[in-house]
Amino acid sequence: MDIRLFHVFRNTPLGRETLLQSIHFCKTVGTSLLIYIPKHTKFLMYFENDVVQVNLDSSYLAAPQSARRHAQELAEAGGIVPSFLDPKHFTTSTLPDVPIHFDFMCCPRSTSVLQSKSGLGNAGPRLRRIVKAARFAVLMTSEAYREWQRIAVFFGGSANAVKALRLGLRMSQKTGCPLEIFTQVERGDEKAYRSIVAKAGLERAVAEQVRQWRFFKEGRFEENLYEVPHDALLIVGAFGHGVVRDFVFGSMMEKIQSIMPNNFLIAGPNYTAAS
Amino acid sequence: MRFLKYWRYPAEWPILRVDDRLLLIIAGAIVGTSSGLAAVALNRSLVWMLDSLLAYRHFWWSFLLPAGGAALSALFLEKIVKEGAGHGVPEVIYSVSRRGGLLRFRSSYSRLISSALTIGSGGSAGPEAPVVMSGAAIGSSIARLFSLNERQRITLVGCGAAGAISSIFNAPIAGLVFTVEVVLGEWTALNIVPIAIASVAGTQISRILQGNQIAFAHHLFRVDLLDSAATVGLAAFTAAASILLTWALRRSHGVSTQLPAPLWLRAAIGGTVVGLIGYFFPVVIGEGYHWIQEMIEGAFVSGFGLALLLVFAKITATAFTLGWGGSGGIFGPCLVIGSLVGLTYHRLLEILWPSAGWIDGGCFALLGMAGLISGMLQAPLTGIFLISEITGGYGVILPLIIVSALSTTICQFLEPASFYLKELVERGQLLRPGTDGRVLADLSVSELIEKDCIAVQPNMLLGDLITIVQKSHRNYFPVEDAATGVFVGMVMLDDIRPYLFNPGMYHAVLLGQIMKTGIETVHPDDDLPEILERMDANHLYSMPVVANERFLGMISKATLLDRYRKELKVQTTLQ
Repeated sequence: MDIRLFHVFRNTPLGRETLLQSIHFCKTVGTSLLIYIPKHTKFLMYFENDVVQVNLDSSYLAAPQSARRHAQELAEAGGIVPSFLDPKHFTTSTLPDVPIHFDFMCCPRSTSVLQSKSGLGNAGPRLRRIVKAARFAVLMTSEAYREWQRIAVFFGGSANAVKALRLGLRMSQKTGCPLEIFTQVERGDEKAYRSIVAKAGLERAVAEQVRQWRFFKEGRFEENLYEVPHDALLIVGAFGHGVVRDFVFGSMMEKIQSIMPNNFLIAGPNYTAAS
Repeated sequence: MRFLKYWRYPAEWPILRVDDRLLLIIAGAIVGTSSGLAAVALNRSLVWMLDSLLAYRHFWWSFLLPAGGAALSALFLEKIVKEGAGHGVPEVIYSVSRRGGLLRFRSSYSRLISSALTIGSGGSAGPEAPVVMSGAAIGSSIARLFSLNERQRITLVGCGAAGAISSIFNAPIAGLVFTVEVVLGEWTALNIVPIAIASVAGTQISRILQGNQIAFAHHLFRVDLLDSAATVGLAAFTAAASILLTWALRRSHGVSTQLPAPLWLRAAIGGTVVGLIGYFFPVVIGEGYHWIQEMIEGAFVSGFGLALLLVFAKITATAFTLGWGGSGGIFGPCLVIGSLVGLTYHRLLEILWPSAGWIDGGCFALLGMAGLISGMLQAPLTGIFLISEITGGYGVILPLIIVSALSTTICQFLEPASFYLKELVERGQLLRPGTDGRVLADLSVSELIEKDCIAVQPNMLLGDLITIVQKSHRNYFPVEDAATGVFVGMVMLDDIRPYLFNPGMYHAVLLGQIMKTGIETVHPDDDLPEILERMDANHLYSMPVVANERFLGMISKATLLDRYRKELKVQTTLQ
């Protein structure tokens, strides 16, 4: 099947940076690009067992007359022929339904949080629900365009971390980018994590494809993030749990997002890799 | 932590997994109770707001009260909960029709608050549609909590709607009938029991918290043959009023959306018009149920001219409330307009045949309500049972049936889709269970793609294709550019037939020379009804599926029919 990345375009300088990021992703991974130029400040995504309303700020409606031309020019300059989404179904006249049958969705940080909070690393409940319900992986882009040259997977041993590792291995295979794994040792020792990988049947793939598996046995996770390369695409498995649990126990995804300026890809509990 | 996890996922509780029907009944009772509570909450809020604002009604500026309420309601919906205006019932039907009953959780409270602001401040609307929306959203959320499948979720959405209507009118049968006739559009053994339970739960909640009151109690009417015959004319009057109200609501919405002003300002303008009309004709203010009571009791003093004027005033006020951004439903206004139409018709009969000895005008007011509800919703059973229950008896059941049935028939003849369904029908999004459109909507191109096609290249020789044909059981061969993989055309078995028995051509003809280019293709996102129309128009039995210039497979009528039958069985077989 055609592997697609879904991008909500904003016709502003910041939106241009995000689209460039998506174009780079499509070129590197070999996916096609599906662009949605919103005509309303909200849209709905109907998942199997949930419906998520995405609210955009009014900047997404800026200069509609030039939006399509700008998006087309940027994509074509990057060597991509984009297709444009024109929603066919509407829940109400101002609330379009956006289909969910794609493989990646670019979710700029400002889509999921208020503009004013975007630097504070709050992923926001909307993104959390998309991640929790979606079968696709969510690409969160850095604020300004930066190309990534390698892939870094954060592996904490959970079922979703295994999904993220599978995604990382597949991405590395497709792009030819070197793959590194980072683990903050919280339970047992290195062996425990390696046995999880072996149980998942990924031992051989990891041995063949992973350039380096770094275990942080000391220091806080936030501090150890300094060791992660600045030019890597980060891949994280997210549980997509609720605000209360995050407030009490903290969220790995939130920590990484708030500290790292990199692009990162999130695989949720329902993620099923097509790529 | 394991204990907490157990409580977090009620769907996994063994007791609820014993039997799916039991699960639905239990969930239906919970949904009915919750939506009943929502209805009572809205009712109490309305009473509180109307009482609180009563002291200000005598001031000259009181005509601005509906404007303030409507503006606040629009601001709340648009800025705080970020939902669109309107009554929400089409949204519920759309969700049932196309989205497996998925509704946003916020809808379970948003319309309650917004409609309380609109109606409580004097806007001409009813609280029923908002509670239907609220109850349906509660049902959908509870279904998600229990991880129910699509059909079960739709049933719980129905339970929510039934519980809400039952509770707000203290009318369990009307709630049940409204849900299956208007919201779900199907009666099945699977959904009827939980919906009935939800109706009972909603009614009980209302009776416990508000008492077992009949909304519009009245004395016994003795309807004779002449009165029954006269109801035929009443049906025509109510049908005309239904069509006029539908037109006014849609026209008003169309005009207001053309106005370059924010929603809250449009709602305020609409509210001001309502306030001004209400200044002279208080009957248009709010839900107006006490006026109905007066009309049924025969205490409403007005002649033919004034009653007719009030019909137009109420229709205008409702159009300016709901069409300009206020929040609320059309049930309430329909009841008021219906009773006014009934009264007007009665006055007209008295003028034309003063010595005929007509029954009391209250009876015609009561029948008018049924006619207008049936005409607007094109749901005769809802009209009959609702009016029977809220007026506390079946004494006028025969003329009630005549008015409801005829009003529905006339409205259907003039306007094939009801007010709730018109927009959905126009957008092609009303898909009732078991219909062709619904079956096709539940299938997607990606499910039907046949991927066992062998791709060939334009620079291949015919001889190479002959070898491939021997291995393949397909009649179609996609041609892809050797360097880029781009889909460039198709070679069909018919195209090579002329050369098949001439081996001399095997090494002389290139596939690029005989392939067909510019052929009709489909995209994985295309809708199946549209694809089938194209197949029929071009006399095709299969078409290539192409995305991003790459060939993905073929889609054929044979595979579609196979999947269509399976899907139809799923939708029409009881689970």
